[in-house]
Amino acid sequence: MNEPISRRALLTAVASAGVGASLAGVTRSVEAEETAHSSREPVSYFGAPDAQVPKVGLRWAFSATVFFADRIMINSPTPRGYTSVGGGEIWGPRLQGRVLPHSGADYFKTTFNTYYCFQASDGAIIFIHNRGTMRRFETPEPAHVRFRATPVFTAPSGPHEWMNRTVFVAHCQRQSNPDHTVFTYYEVL
Amino acid sequence: MRDFVVPKTDTKVKGEVTLDYAFQLQAHYDPPVAHASPKGTFRYQDITSGELRGEHFNATVYPDSGGQYDTVRGDRIRDVDAHFILKADNGEWVYMEHVGYRRTDGYYRAIAYVEADTKGAYDWLNNTTFVVTAKESPDERQVTFYYYTAN
Repeated sequence: MNEPISRRALLTAVASAGVGASLAGVTRSVEAEETAHSSREPVSYFGAPDAQVPKVGLRWAFSATVFFADRIMINSPTPRGYTSVGGGEIWGPRLQGRVLPHSGADYFKTTFNTYYCFQASDGAIIFIHNRGTMRRFETPEPAHVRFRATPVFTAPSGPHEWMNRTVFVAHCQRQSNPDHTVFTYYEVL
Repeated sequence: MRDFVVPKTDTKVKGEVTLDYAFQLQAHYDPPVAHASPKGTFRYQDITSGELRGEHFNATVYPDSGGQYDTVRGDRIRDVDAHFILKADNGEWVYMEHVGYRRTDGYYRAIAYVEADTKGAYDWLNNTTFVVTAKESPDERQVTFYYYTAN
């Protein structure tokens, strides 16, 4: 652990000292929570020429390498794609673990719309609903694809609950041999 | 549950995202109407009008085209779910959706999903991810949304 003392470690210490019950009624503020789990990653701030526009910060939270398996198309009125998730790895400053094997898929229509689960290194199951956009730019040369994802997480109460109140944006990079995508998740601050 | 052996790859690369300011929307709302539900406090707010200003996109909110359909959770954080329609300065229609969180510490961030005519002047809004930060008046009836493109 990078943190000298985390809230979790504090609670564990207090609980083992037999006074945990006295903490149950203490109101925890969001700010205290964020401080307890704060990251040492640098924040990049973005603004506008007009100083009235509030700046927005991005901070690398974690990355995920996701391997895909089956690809199916259903010719429904607006065709539905199915690309199943095989598994993968999660690494980075604020979350480590794996993609829960065979835990879901991308059920896309025109843009991707993915539902599956992470399993953090402490065993916690974190649900991810990920929507995204992909746009091909023919110019300037060489042509490139801008592929961005916007996940909404459902994490259990405890050390990962900050994910339930944080907006994220991800850079996505498709790779072949084998077919996988590398997602770089940033917290929006 | 079947297991999965993660193949060895050399692709553990960190991708970069940059934000570029695009436009802002001053939106006006009726007072919220709220009621308790099993999922939390459901909170509806009609969007009555609004003005969107930017270098490449200017529009007005189509009055009463939707609004906020938020849920205030047990931890007092608001799950933001907004839908409404804009009319661009050239008459084209644009759909706007916000998904995000408004916290008690003043953090109000969202992702905006925008849909426009693929053959129109605002096709660039399609398949663009917008990151939004917002300022809300104390009575929660005047909200300014600032949109950045995630590049």
